[in-house]
Amino acid sequence: MNNRVLSLVLSRLLIALITLVIVSFAVFFATTLLPGDTASILLGQAATPEAVEGLRKAMHLDEPAIFRFLRWIVGLMQGDLGTSYANEMPVADLIGGRFVNTLQLAGVTALFSVPIALTLGITSAMLRGSLYDRIVTVLTIGVISVPEFMIATSAVLIFAVYLKWLPALSFANEVTSLADLLRIYAMPVITLTFVISAQMIRMTRAAVIETLNTPYVEMALLKGASRPRMVFRHALPNALGPIVNAVALSLSYLLGGVIIVETIFNYPGIAKLMVDAVSTRDLPLIQSCAMIFCLGYLLLITTADIIAILSNPRLR
Amino acid sequence: MTMTHSETKSARLSGTRIGYRFNIVGMVGLSIILFWALVAIFAPLIIPYPVGEIADLDYFGPMSPDFWLGSDYLGRDMLSRILMGARYTVGISLAAVTIACFSGVVLGMIAAVAGGWLDTLLSRFLDALNSIPSKLFGLVVVAAVGSSIPVLILTLSVIYIPGAYRFARALAVNINAMDFITVARIRGESTLYLIRSEILPNIVGPVLADLGIRFVFIVLLLSGLSFLGLGVQPPFADWGALVRENIGGLPFGAAAVMAPSFAIASLTISVNLLIDNLPRKIRDRSE
Amino acid sequence: MNDKITNWTSSDDVMVENAIRRGATRRELLQMMLAGGVALSAGSLVLGRAGHAVAATPVSGGALKAAGWSSSTADTLDPAKASLSTDYVRCCSFYNRLTFLDKSGTPQMELAEAIETKDAKTWTVKLRKGVTFHDGKPLTADDVIFSLKRHLDPSVGSKVAKIAAQMTGFKAVDKQTVEITLANANADLPTILSMHHFMIVADGTTDFSKGNGTGAFVREVFEPGVRSVGIKNKNYWKSGPNVDSFEYFAISDDSSRVNALLSGDIHLAATINPRSMRLVESQGDGFVLSKTTSGSYTNLNMRLDMEPGSKRDFVEGMKYLVNREQIVKSALRGLGEVGNDQPVSPANFYHNPDLKPRAFNPEKAKFHFEKAGALGQSIPVIASDAANSAIDMAMIIQASAAEIGLKLDVQRVPADGYWDNYWLKAPVHFGNINPRPTPDILFSLLYASEAPWNESQYKSEKFDKMLIEARGSLDQEKRKAIYNEMQVMVANEAGTIIPAYISNVDAITTKLKGLEANPLGGQMGYAFAEYVWLEA
Repeated sequence: MNNRVLSLVLSRLLIALITLVIVSFAVFFATTLLPGDTASILLGQAATPEAVEGLRKAMHLDEPAIFRFLRWIVGLMQGDLGTSYANEMPVADLIGGRFVNTLQLAGVTALFSVPIALTLGITSAMLRGSLYDRIVTVLTIGVISVPEFMIATSAVLIFAVYLKWLPALSFANEVTSLADLLRIYAMPVITLTFVISAQMIRMTRAAVIETLNTPYVEMALLKGASRPRMVFRHALPNALGPIVNAVALSLSYLLGGVIIVETIFNYPGIAKLMVDAVSTRDLPLIQSCAMIFCLGYLLLITTADIIAILSNPRLR
Repeated sequence: MTMTHSETKSARLSGTRIGYRFNIVGMVGLSIILFWALVAIFAPLIIPYPVGEIADLDYFGPMSPDFWLGSDYLGRDMLSRILMGARYTVGISLAAVTIACFSGVVLGMIAAVAGGWLDTLLSRFLDALNSIPSKLFGLVVVAAVGSSIPVLILTLSVIYIPGAYRFARALAVNINAMDFITVARIRGESTLYLIRSEILPNIVGPVLADLGIRFVFIVLLLSGLSFLGLGVQPPFADWGALVRENIGGLPFGAAAVMAPSFAIASLTISVNLLIDNLPRKIRDRSE
Repeated sequence: MNDKITNWTSSDDVMVENAIRRGATRRELLQMMLAGGVALSAGSLVLGRAGHAVAATPVSGGALKAAGWSSSTADTLDPAKASLSTDYVRCCSFYNRLTFLDKSGTPQMELAEAIETKDAKTWTVKLRKGVTFHDGKPLTADDVIFSLKRHLDPSVGSKVAKIAAQMTGFKAVDKQTVEITLANANADLPTILSMHHFMIVADGTTDFSKGNGTGAFVREVFEPGVRSVGIKNKNYWKSGPNVDSFEYFAISDDSSRVNALLSGDIHLAATINPRSMRLVESQGDGFVLSKTTSGSYTNLNMRLDMEPGSKRDFVEGMKYLVNREQIVKSALRGLGEVGNDQPVSPANFYHNPDLKPRAFNPEKAKFHFEKAGALGQSIPVIASDAANSAIDMAMIIQASAAEIGLKLDVQRVPADGYWDNYWLKAPVHFGNINPRPTPDILFSLLYASEAPWNESQYKSEKFDKMLIEARGSLDQEKRKAIYNEMQVMVANEAGTIIPAYISNVDAITTKLKGLEANPLGGQMGYAFAEYVWLEA
């Protein structure tokens, strides 16, 4: 079986690599479809044809985009992420600290939200149709129907402006103690937990209920197995595939989708970096960010797929 | 769409009886959805003020006999804006979520049943699609095909197909490994039959739950896309956009920011409650 | 009246202020500006507050933190490329200019000791002695020539290449003296040199991210799109700065910026949304608002060389259709002054007060639209969040149009790439112009026949001749007369509707003292960091 898993992982890695290349090309073509280039966007209102021409030449943007892109790929293979068009700094420097920030925020949020979500999801499935189940459902949907920026802004108003318990801004680079860390991460993490938990709660609940209805679980129940035992021994392993997929999809949001949280709490992460890069048509930076997002996403879903396969004896 | 399929599936699955019975919660959910649907249809006839008219000199006005839900950041009547916004939020979101989930679920089931290279190809393609940042995607769409409501609906669907696909496939793969599928295969049933009659009935519950969540996401994403210049054009606005443009009223608890939030919550909670409380007939398994 | 602002947002204060201005003589008006500039409050409170601010003695020390509203990876410390207010603020803290504008709009010497000319064509700039860059190098004529000459090189990508183009000759007379020759006489050179792009950098600089200037702060941290930190320059040639360090970053979300101020995370929140003023006021004595009307505006442009703007009557109709009062009241919430379709704002010495804004008159508008055959058609109007308040203005104009049966199809397009794709190009579109210190710059950039940003494609030989005549004249009164007439021409003939001059409001904590208004823009013309101090 170990060999099966190993070859599976290897083949998935190979496929992931191919996916990366495809995404890279897709992002490249998407970028070239956008009107304007770095020179004209940096000049903004001052973009007269002569000025754009001059700057384009100085920034070496006058050679065909495809060559620049291929050169970037060749550089990437040697571990060089290239140089940003917008500010001539190495892309690795621009991404470095901000990537760590993003990972920290994502990590803390995941640690916090996944256990809560799974607990709520499984318990409400076990108590399906009860008042508890209804309350969890209404609260879950209620919470995600509130736009993210409203949750974040309300949190800031209450905890930072009126109560003055927490800082309104989360500067990732000024953490000195654990207390600081908690104060700084509290609001972004709560906001993000609200945003991503709902999908996990609802999907877990649905998947567990579905397996609870399968004949063999019914059989187990007839044989006199207790309800919790039935859920954990029989239903959960079978529902694990869809659940880990829902978890992976939710967590993938934490890499590139946290733009609103980054903006409102002024938290320097890579989601904002990517948005900046797109606005300035900064190809090396766009590509590097896209590769990070894609890699993170592939890592999550591949893990989910492997867990799903391992958890179901029939699929091994 | 999935509902229709399960309803029309062949009689051998369950002793088909026409006429479903909803429980109370389901009824409440359904009536709220119908209420908003009616509002969406008849909005132009019932709005007290034209949507773009600046009727109030003040901004973030409170609820009053003239302005039932207060006035917005420009002094426009909030009630009129919400009633008209129902057209966009209800209509566009329902259309988009239907397309996204239908395509995602069908593709997911096909991939699970067919397996092999088709599965790999579809999965990786959709993974790749999901990896393209949505802002880039939105901008490219505007640049390439311009902005209109159908384009908006398709864009929203495309953004959410990979997720629906992945979840449906994960469910279907589990079912596909069951004995009764193997039996059906040996019996020589076609892929179409397997999907429609064996897989779908067994995953319809979670798939509908997924649809409910995705509906919420689409309602919210709608406002984000209108800021990229995609879709709903001013003076009209969907509910999410109404919350966004009036967010400055939050410190004062202005009706202008609360009312559209409640509208969103009422719609999304109703959709999900309805899904949870669909009559067993629709949700039930085949065995 | 007590000392606290009770109801700022009622537009009464602004109207009172404007009424006083309209009736006031130019001299009184300048004085008003001097005070109104420091408008930490409104109306009669202005003077009291201003006096208060001046009377206080600066305190040394403290770490100043302030937030602007836009920042990205394109942030730069290269003054030539500076494009956002964030860049200006940072450049002002690390570098100096030859001249700067004081609160009355008069150029004052900074790195220059004196700027002299006989014919407005050849100028002699004498530099201050004993000024050094952060790396210890003394300031010389070569640095000034390098700094100015860069703008002429297209590969630099200077934002003021067009304005700099008139400087054709540079000569280092000696180590401390530079001679600048202009292509044509221009009496405004000292004012032009006060623009933020003409900061003085060290000769031969290629890496601008170090921020090596002669300014009040030495760069400690600069992360584009994240933040910058400057440490007090111990060798600063002026007295100051008062604070020990200066951290600047951007919070692009309006509410978040205000919330960060209210929670005590920052001392200054630049350019707040007018609708946030109530929140700031409701917080009691801890915070004040500082208002500046510097002449930035958002305008509706109709290209005169394209349908429908090529029909004179359409343009006339639109000018009557724009309800300027309502735009100031609803879109700007009183934070603006009604504009009269020309770019020289009341904050400028050359503003023509006799040119009245066109009154809102839907009947006349309808008459003109009928004549132009525009009724019954759907006319696309391009608007974007890229131009401040443009969407709101478009909504107001659209609603007025609907009432007389004109269908304006307002198309909201992405802010991304707006200047490149739509501005100057679409037949009817919105633009947004930042304050420029002289009418000559405004007219040369925006209205001369060959102007690079001729938004409505206005062409007039007479106008071009007048522009050159006024530029070369050293006679203040004569210039004023010419500029007044040119304002009338632009208002009546060009296709640009300038409904209002937009005011800027910065919100600050009362701990922050010494902030004054400046005609170059908010945040004390972006140069506040070296002048303000923090009360313990």
